[in-house]
Amino acid sequence: MKVSLNWLRRYVDIPVSVEELCDKMLQAGFEVESVEDLSKSMENVVVGRIERMEKHPNADRLQVCRVDVGAGEPVQVVTGAGNVFEGALVPVALHGSRLPNGMQIKKGELRGVESLGMLCSGQELCLKESDYRGAEADGILILLDDYPPGTDMRAVLGLDDVIIDFSVTANRPDCQSILGIAREVSVVLKTEFKKPAPLYKTKGGDINSYISVEVRDYELCPRYFGRVVTNVRIGPSPDGMQKFLKACGMRPINNIVDITNFVLLETGQPMHAFDLRDVRGHRIIVRRAENGEKITTLDGKEHTLSPEMLVIADAERPSCLAGIMGGLDSEIKDDTTEIFFESAKFRRDSVRHTARTLGVRTESSARFEKGTDIYNVEYAMERALSLIYELGVGDIVEGVIDCNDGLPQERVLKVTVSGVNSLLGLEIPGETMVEILNRLSIKTSLSGNTLTCVIPSFRDDIEGRADIAEEVMRIYGYHHIVGTPMKGLVVRGRKSHERLCGDRIKNCLVAQGLHEIATYSFISEKALDILGIEQDDPRRRAIRILNPLGEEYSVMRTQLVYSMLNVMSINYSRKIPAVRFFELSKVFVPDSVPITKQPEERPALSIGLYGEQEDFFTLKGIVEAVLAEFNIVPEYQRSGEPHLHPGRQAAAVADGRAIAVFGEVHPDTSEKFGFNNRVYVAEIRADILMAAKKPLAVYKPLPRFPAIERDLALVCDVGMPVAEIEKVIREHSGEYLESVQLFDVYQGTQIEKGKKSVAYRLVFRSPEFTLKDEDVEPAMNRVIEELSGKGCYLRS
Amino acid sequence: MKEKLEQLRAQALDSLKGIKDKKGLDELRIKIMGKKGQLTEILRGMGALPAEERPKIGQLVNRIRQELEERFGEVEAEIEERLKKERLAFETVDITMPGKKRRTGGLHPLSSVLEVLIDIFVSMGFDVVDGPEVETDYYNFEALNVPKDHPARDTQDTFYLTDKFLLRTQTSSAQIRVMENRKPPIRIISPGRVYRADEVDATHSPVFHQVEGLVVDRGITMCDLKGVLEQFAREIYGPETKVRFRPSFFPFTEPSVEVDVSCGECGGQGCRVCKDAGWIEILGAGMVHPNVLAGCGIDPEIYSGFAFGIGLDRLTTTRHKISDIRLLFENDLRFLEQFS
Repeated sequence: MKVSLNWLRRYVDIPVSVEELCDKMLQAGFEVESVEDLSKSMENVVVGRIERMEKHPNADRLQVCRVDVGAGEPVQVVTGAGNVFEGALVPVALHGSRLPNGMQIKKGELRGVESLGMLCSGQELCLKESDYRGAEADGILILLDDYPPGTDMRAVLGLDDVIIDFSVTANRPDCQSILGIAREVSVVLKTEFKKPAPLYKTKGGDINSYISVEVRDYELCPRYFGRVVTNVRIGPSPDGMQKFLKACGMRPINNIVDITNFVLLETGQPMHAFDLRDVRGHRIIVRRAENGEKITTLDGKEHTLSPEMLVIADAERPSCLAGIMGGLDSEIKDDTTEIFFESAKFRRDSVRHTARTLGVRTESSARFEKGTDIYNVEYAMERALSLIYELGVGDIVEGVIDCNDGLPQERVLKVTVSGVNSLLGLEIPGETMVEILNRLSIKTSLSGNTLTCVIPSFRDDIEGRADIAEEVMRIYGYHHIVGTPMKGLVVRGRKSHERLCGDRIKNCLVAQGLHEIATYSFISEKALDILGIEQDDPRRRAIRILNPLGEEYSVMRTQLVYSMLNVMSINYSRKIPAVRFFELSKVFVPDSVPITKQPEERPALSIGLYGEQEDFFTLKGIVEAVLAEFNIVPEYQRSGEPHLHPGRQAAAVADGRAIAVFGEVHPDTSEKFGFNNRVYVAEIRADILMAAKKPLAVYKPLPRFPAIERDLALVCDVGMPVAEIEKVIREHSGEYLESVQLFDVYQGTQIEKGKKSVAYRLVFRSPEFTLKDEDVEPAMNRVIEELSGKGCYLRS
Repeated sequence: MKEKLEQLRAQALDSLKGIKDKKGLDELRIKIMGKKGQLTEILRGMGALPAEERPKIGQLVNRIRQELEERFGEVEAEIEERLKKERLAFETVDITMPGKKRRTGGLHPLSSVLEVLIDIFVSMGFDVVDGPEVETDYYNFEALNVPKDHPARDTQDTFYLTDKFLLRTQTSSAQIRVMENRKPPIRIISPGRVYRADEVDATHSPVFHQVEGLVVDRGITMCDLKGVLEQFAREIYGPETKVRFRPSFFPFTEPSVEVDVSCGECGGQGCRVCKDAGWIEILGAGMVHPNVLAGCGIDPEIYSGFAFGIGLDRLTTTRHKISDIRLLFENDLRFLEQFS
């Protein structure tokens, strides 16, 4: 809410600096968005009257003027402008002045004649036609009204003002007005609030002979108030009013429209003026729009309406979007002579809904949406009529139209002093509360421990004890709140099981050199196409956002690999040679789409690697480590992810479920992400990890007897999985086998084509005695024999 | 014979003085005490001695042998000691050369700052509870005292999934689920992701993170709220930090406050960091609105509570002086490494 300080001062004394005012208002709950001191733009520029003009002795095109600037002797100013004349009132920049464009004016000589200042044009003062009539004309700005010489030009232009932009919270619609802010200022500064009393006289007649009003929907329009003004003389509104409107960001139009806008800003109650000529049938009907009905609003736009929208119609068609914008055909024109003033209350959610649906937002709709005061409807009308009367621009017809379905009763709230204090943790005396609440226009009396509060109609937000506590507190001052250690039962705090598991996953990965990343939960709907995921894959069942920021962020992700590839791609494009990343986040798994119940938000883990050191097995090592952290020893099976290398991908399967799928990214996919290298990704079901039980470690006695080692070098088919060989070794090497380790795989010139050599180290140990060669000989022979059945033979 | 022995001893001791290395020492040892050495040679001549002389000479031989053995041992030890010193000197390294590191990774700064927060609140007895990110309109708005078409919805541009379901705009939705499922005393924080349809810029992200706090018990007051937040602020911003409440508005708390901390950069004098205010706004808080308590089946006449919501991303960027929130989601390794 932009507030002109000069305007504010009309209704409340402000005996403090702007800084102090802002600070006090901040303490009371009104944040200050900005303070703009208009007077800073220009200094030492005054109104001057040209008394005499002479030709410059040394220059044909220059004039030497003697100018009365209101102080002592007239000053001599040389000008080159041709439009000045004796008796003209003009802006004079005196010695040492500063102009809005940054120019500094000093006295000097022009061709040998002293000049003590400069006559200014509209451009030099950075003025537009709307700031001052004639400002954009060539030459010196000729002032139209009669100002005494010496008047500060800032006063002429309305620049002797400070504009404070207060941020008003949603619970205080009453402060969307100068009067509302003035009331708060009067409370925080403890000065008098001077609400202007309406003052006007009517000129007879009867409103009912001009117009009739019918409200068909009191739900959406609880009160509709109207007056008629005749003999209207349309013209510009007075300077003072224009200055205030401009200061608050509104454009002056004509006296009638300006009065409605002035009242809107002053009281917070939007008003509308109709040209009575254009109200067909002399009837106003407040009704819901018919389906498909059309209206052209003041801004020239045509809207198609629907029945949940409220319109102000005449006998034939809608002429206003209720509370939002007037219609083009009933607007005030230069030759308007009879007007109907509307001041009404429209239901806030209805106005909000219509304004949003049609995409029309105005000062008026903004106020209705936040909520207006049903009693303020009448006061605003009185203010408008007072202005008509004061400016003498029309005759006020006798009689009012006040359609309402009964006005709400005064609300009385009883709360206890101790109840308020118990919420705050303070001991504020009841008398102090009474004093504060009364200053806030909440008429309050104290009887024993009980406060009886009469809630004014503009404070709909006050419903109970908590609200009274807030009102008291914000004026009493929050600095009185002193931190105390919490009382109450001792409770134990802890992380959830899922969070503790998450910590274990993260620690495990960080220790292996992985950095955690964070990416958005929504991704492009093309992501799955890019990854080549099949149409019938469950990951295709993704939740869409109805109003996404863009296609890029339009579906809730069902996998993390896409985001991981994106992040790696950014790093790769920035010439970062190697990365090891992981992300522990959620995927969104709905039963069906569009969703009818909350989806499963499934914890998921992705891993991504690239760099010289990385290959399929560094990735597998990391995956194994994470699974081992949760005591999961899976089987590895070939998998068929389209975005992974067909020969370098695997699924880690345990209990029939794939816990991880990982591998080298398919060259077609990595090309789409701009990679020119090998990239590795894994996607892991973190939910399964978190559900796994890890038994407590139990001590096993350390070995007391030496071990026997046997190396086994075998030749087998290239396609033979080593896991199968290991399985045979484990099955047949007897009770003393302690460990089997694959330590070499060779394929090349030393070996037959289509074969590979694999070498294992077997360690045997007994917990009871020292093994001798003959204790392991039978086992080794059995293993070799079994393996030969699988096509493996000893390497010679 | 005796003279011969004495002479041999003297010669041996003399030769020993010139020995510089192990090889020379071994040669000398063999020359004198080996099987064919000089001492053995002399001993062979023992047979020619009269019988009564033999024990004397035998003793002498043994004494000399023992003495020489000792001396040889000493010299050997000296040589070894010298060799060791030489080896150690030779092995001296340039200690200014870089250490051999095994690269570890690191947590994302949002995670590490969250861990700090969780530690602070868990130590004060707060449970950590997670809530769903896909929420119903009811939990995200209505139960929080924000009915349909309420102006408070304006400040939170919401991503909708269907008419009924949306991406939560605030972790406050978790409050309701906790109050529905637990009986007071309640003391929880609920960290998590939230979503608002804000265009991306240096200070806005459509995906961000909050940490909601909620306490409900008998006799909870605003002073308790301040006490908890002061504790939090001192741990995060330093022991000298002051906390200020300013009245504000949130639909689900009443009274509501914005909470500022004294600017740690300038100590409250005003600087670029606090935009000359001397204070930095860190969170919103308030006493749980009686409508919200009642809606969750908690009698507001018996119980009271407070709630607060911390913006984790802003806390992270201010704590680490990160100039642009987008950096958090870009995940440039060089950025991430700065926080590991």
